[in-house]
Amino acid sequence: MNEFEWRRQMRELQQPHVPRRDLWPAIDAALDQAVADPPARATWRRMLAGAAVAASLLLVVGMAWHQWFTPTAPAESAGTTRQASWKPADPRLAGAAIELDAARLELQLAIEQAPDSAALQRLLRHTERQQAQLRQLADRAG
Amino acid sequence: MPPVSSAAHDGDDVRAAAAGDRRAFQRLYALHVGRVYGALHRLAGYDHARAEDLTQDAFIRAWQKLPGFRHESSFGTWLYRLAVNVALMDIRARGADPVRVVDDEHLPDSGETPFCAAERHELEQAIGRLPPRARAVLVLHDIEGWRHEDIGDELGMAVGTSKAQLHRARQLLRKTLGENA
Repeated sequence: MNEFEWRRQMRELQQPHVPRRDLWPAIDAALDQAVADPPARATWRRMLAGAAVAASLLLVVGMAWHQWFTPTAPAESAGTTRQASWKPADPRLAGAAIELDAARLELQLAIEQAPDSAALQRLLRHTERQQAQLRQLADRAG
Repeated sequence: MPPVSSAAHDGDDVRAAAAGDRRAFQRLYALHVGRVYGALHRLAGYDHARAEDLTQDAFIRAWQKLPGFRHESSFGTWLYRLAVNVALMDIRARGADPVRVVDDEHLPDSGETPFCAAERHELEQAIGRLPPRARAVLVLHDIEGWRHEDIGDELGMAVGTSKAQLHRARQLLRKTLGENA
C-alpha cells in the first residue's frame, strides 16, 4: 500500500458518528451546575487593572527606596557632569559638539528639577559618552 | 485543519446560547454532536463510553466558554477545537508518557492478512489499541488532517516528536494489521 492509498483509507474514517444514547439530558442537567466563564475581554480588563496597581506599587516602593538609601547620588552626578563648553576646530564636528553640549545642559537642568529620575541620569551619562567619543574623534582628526 | 461542514446559519443560536438560552444551545448540540462525537470517538480509541463522557465534558465546557466566543472562526470550528482539547487534556491527565511506545513484543506477529479498505472495523480496533499519544497524533494527522505544527502545539511536543510519533503509530498499526511496512 502506498502513501496515497493509506491517506485515502484513513480519511475515510473521518465521519460523524451519532452517540449510542442521547447525551443531551445529562448535559442539560450538568449545565445547571456549570457556571459560565466571564467574557475574555472582562478578564483582560481585570488583569490589566491588576497589573497597573502592581506597577504603581512598585514605582512607589522604588522611589522610596531610592530616596532613603541614595539621597546624594543624583546631586553628585549632576554636579560632576557640569563641564565647560568645548568646541572642536573641525567645523564638521563643531555642530555635533554644540548639539551635544546643549543636550547635556538641558539634562542637567532637568535633573535639578527631578533629581531622583534614573532615566535622566542614564540619558546624561549617554550624552557624556557621546561627547567623549566626539573628543576622541576630534583628537584623531588633529 | 479542516473546517466543520455545518452551521452556516447557527449565528443566532450561538448569540442566544451565549446569553444563556438553553434551548438555543440544545439546537447547537443537535447540529454539532455528530462531528464532535466522531472526533472524540476516534481519539478515545473507539471507546464508546469514554467518547460519550468526553462529549458531555466538551459541551459543558463550550457552554461555560461561550460568552467569550468572539466569532473569529465558525462556531463549529471553535467547538471542534475545544472538544479535541478536552480529549487531549484527558490523555495528558491519564499520564500518557509522550515518548512511551508499545514494545514490539506486545504486538501480534505479522500475518498474511492484507491491509485493505474492506477491513474498516479491524482498522478501528487497531487504532484503538495504539498508545494514547501515538493514537492522538495518528488520528489528528492522518484522519482529521491536522498539521504537525498544530498537533505539537496542542500536545505540548516538538514538531519532530509529532512526526516521530506518527511514524511509530503507523508502524505499529501496519504491524498489528499484518502488513510489513
